[in-house]
Amino acid sequence: MNYFEKMKGHTQSPPGVGALEILWSWIGGFLGIAAVGLIHFKLLDQTGLMLIIGSFGASAVLVYGAIRSPLAQPRNLIGGHVLSALIGVAAHQYLGSVPWLASAAAVATAIALMHLTKTLHPPGGATALIAVIGGDAVHRLGYLYVLMPAGLGALVLLTVALLVNNLSPNRRYPEFW
Amino acid sequence: MSSANLRECAAVDISDQDVVAAMKSMQGYIDITPADFREVYRVAYALAKERMMNALKAADIMSRAVRAIRADDDLIAAASLLAEKGISGAPVIDGQGRIVGVISEKDFLRKMGAEKSGSFMQVIALCLKNKGCLATAMTNRTAADIMTAPAITAAADISVGAIAALLMEKNINRLPIVDGGGRPVGIVTRTDLVNSYCMLG
Repeated sequence: MNYFEKMKGHTQSPPGVGALEILWSWIGGFLGIAAVGLIHFKLLDQTGLMLIIGSFGASAVLVYGAIRSPLAQPRNLIGGHVLSALIGVAAHQYLGSVPWLASAAAVATAIALMHLTKTLHPPGGATALIAVIGGDAVHRLGYLYVLMPAGLGALVLLTVALLVNNLSPNRRYPEFW
Repeated sequence: MSSANLRECAAVDISDQDVVAAMKSMQGYIDITPADFREVYRVAYALAKERMMNALKAADIMSRAVRAIRADDDLIAAASLLAEKGISGAPVIDGQGRIVGVISEKDFLRKMGAEKSGSFMQVIALCLKNKGCLATAMTNRTAADIMTAPAITAAADISVGAIAALLMEKNINRLPIVDGGGRPVGIVTRTDLVNSYCMLG
């Protein structure tokens, strides 16, 4: 096929979802981020620890809005964040003096590792990147970043997903563990 | 005729519209494009079809009581045997028991004036036009004179799918199954093939 021909696309977008599905996605997203946010802002803020990172917003899209997706399953959610966080912290520690290189290496290696371990979770790329560009508050955590916020935060999102996504008779979560 | 049949035999394909309609009937966001789903479906369907078509072999579905006609039998004996057994065709064997041809209603009809396709109605039309029929032209002939030869045969391990393709391609109704020496061990007719679809569930 012609190189430029390919850029025209060849199929259509999947159909949109019903109002009930949108409502459940909203409820899940709200409760999931609320749980992580409450622990972060009410319990941890003064301690120098953290539980909320930007990539959890992206995870919420998947685990509350596209719950059938293979990318939204528990092993992807937890595995993707934990492995990517590990790569991100290591990239910062070894390459931190060259931020652009540390950033690129962190994200690219996180994608590769998630693929290798069948834990591909797009927000994991952000988790790896935040470990490099997240500033002093993140850098101070060192490898603790892997467990908290990355691991524990993902666990809170998962718990809410299990509780909320199974309330609707038309939804079930997870597809697999 | 055969090309029309082959067209009907083409697998049913699904369209993007079918996939989108199915996705709509399911709740929730399906994280795959209709085209990707169709690709998965096509490959999976082909695999399932192959598995089903290979699951049954000729040995599983063939009739084992083969009524063979000897090549030097006269046509009275041959026609009487077919009539008595209620079958429309049989393999023809030589002195060593090897298949040398197949004889069927079509071969008789052709001798009675039918065209190449061998339809009974063509013979009827001819008989009405000529105020009489010409079956007598076949007296003193043997099975070897009118049989279709060489016979199309297959071994017992041929799959049901391959048999169906062969019957369609050669436009024949029965396939003698032979052993290594070319001797008949069974026969698969179109009827046997239809029955085998029940066995596939």
